[in-house]
Amino acid sequence: MIPIAHGLVGRTDLPIPEWLFGWGAAMVLVVSFVALALLWPEPRLEREHWRPLPGGLGRALASRPVEIACAGVGVALLAVLIWSGLHGIQSPTANFAPTFIYVIFWVGLVPASVLLGDIFKAFNPWRAIGRAFAWLARAVSRTELPAPLDYPNRLGNWPAAAGIFAFAVMELVVSNSDEPESLAVATLVYSAATFVAMALYGVDAWIERGEAFSVYFNLFSRLSPIETRDGVVGYRKPLSGLPALQVLPGSVPLLAVMIGSVTFDGAGEGPLWTGVAPDIASFFRDVGLSPQRALELTFLVGLVAAIALVYGFYRLGAIGAKSVGGGFGAGRLSRAFVHSLVPIALAYVMAHYFTFLLFNGQAIWPLASDPLGDGSNLFGTASRQIDFTLIGANATWYWQVAFVIGGHVTALTLAHDRALSLYDDAKLAVRSQYWMLAVMVGFTSLALWLLSEANQ
Amino acid sequence: MITIAHAGHWLTSVAYFVPVIAFLVWLAITQLRERRKRSDRGDR
Repeated sequence: MIPIAHGLVGRTDLPIPEWLFGWGAAMVLVVSFVALALLWPEPRLEREHWRPLPGGLGRALASRPVEIACAGVGVALLAVLIWSGLHGIQSPTANFAPTFIYVIFWVGLVPASVLLGDIFKAFNPWRAIGRAFAWLARAVSRTELPAPLDYPNRLGNWPAAAGIFAFAVMELVVSNSDEPESLAVATLVYSAATFVAMALYGVDAWIERGEAFSVYFNLFSRLSPIETRDGVVGYRKPLSGLPALQVLPGSVPLLAVMIGSVTFDGAGEGPLWTGVAPDIASFFRDVGLSPQRALELTFLVGLVAAIALVYGFYRLGAIGAKSVGGGFGAGRLSRAFVHSLVPIALAYVMAHYFTFLLFNGQAIWPLASDPLGDGSNLFGTASRQIDFTLIGANATWYWQVAFVIGGHVTALTLAHDRALSLYDDAKLAVRSQYWMLAVMVGFTSLALWLLSEANQ
Repeated sequence: MITIAHAGHWLTSVAYFVPVIAFLVWLAITQLRERRKRSDRGDR
């Protein structure tokens, strides 16, 4: 990860100990749970509430010229990223590629998707190239192209889960993962794999279910009140996008990877992991691995353990919910409530990478002017400096706590709404949610503990 | 190596998870009680 990662300075003068914020957050969740049980007696989010933006704006925003312009920007950014990675200065902070991938793309697109809807779909370079290629092939051959293979149902979201896991491995496990050339090569490899998959299963089928980043950002965009439907941008009832999520094989592991990878990134900065990791690395060195491979394998073990922990805890909640009755199996329940993990994933990303995005994100201005790090100044912004006074340490902590609480209360609301539509008996629905509340309180405590660990 | 000198830090870490532990204990007790009630009703 790029230097100056997440926590910048320690907090010194909070009015109460940090762990007491965790207790307060748990109280907020319990109060929210009671309020939902009393004041939210029937499902409200399962119905469709989409309307186009007024005055033809919705149609204009999704028009063909805008679509082509967005796709062009996406393809151009992909080209700049590969070009700068391969031919620019091999410094993570002076080259465009690492900051663009890790800060703007990976983190910045998350809040952008929540605010503006599925904008990655519009800018997705692989989708744009795939569609352009299909159009060109049709025009040249003057016949219909052979139909793609049916996307296998059993594949579901597994390729996306594998893709996000691979990205997390690249980010958190592989040594020198912020080397521009390595990132450019990884991008080329991923692009090639995506084009092959799109050629086999069709552009839309692969983008909707298999392409890791499309699926990832689409999940976050479902929290947005903005949605594009049939070529028209419109708005919908807040949160109503998530209950409509089509849960596929691999959806639950995908969410576990999303939350687990951030969990490991947070834990990796704290004393618990830094205390245990040397012993694991020493074990791998003893079996004959080089120090670098031993360290990578150690981090891989940590990453997998964090994902397994998240998956296991959620599964435990589903098993608990099963025990209250209603005739649903744990697997059915874990799939039914998986959409409620999306706001938790958002809370984890926002709380953990808040300062990273705020401070390191500013580096994109000078890097845009000098992507190769060769002293050029294309847009006159090459000399811009990062403003580290943008937000103080305590304000950061309050924002992080707010993200964590907000995300989990949202998750609780979604789970409560789903329970009401799933169970015939409202009392049974509420009782099933005791277990989801336990899951939410657990994830809240974990999130705040990780944030405090990162600032030790 | 984890030493007793780090106990203060560990206790602070544990403090974060007190609400989860308390909630799970409460939940387990509630479930046990309900199960007992159900089996009592079944016995009669």
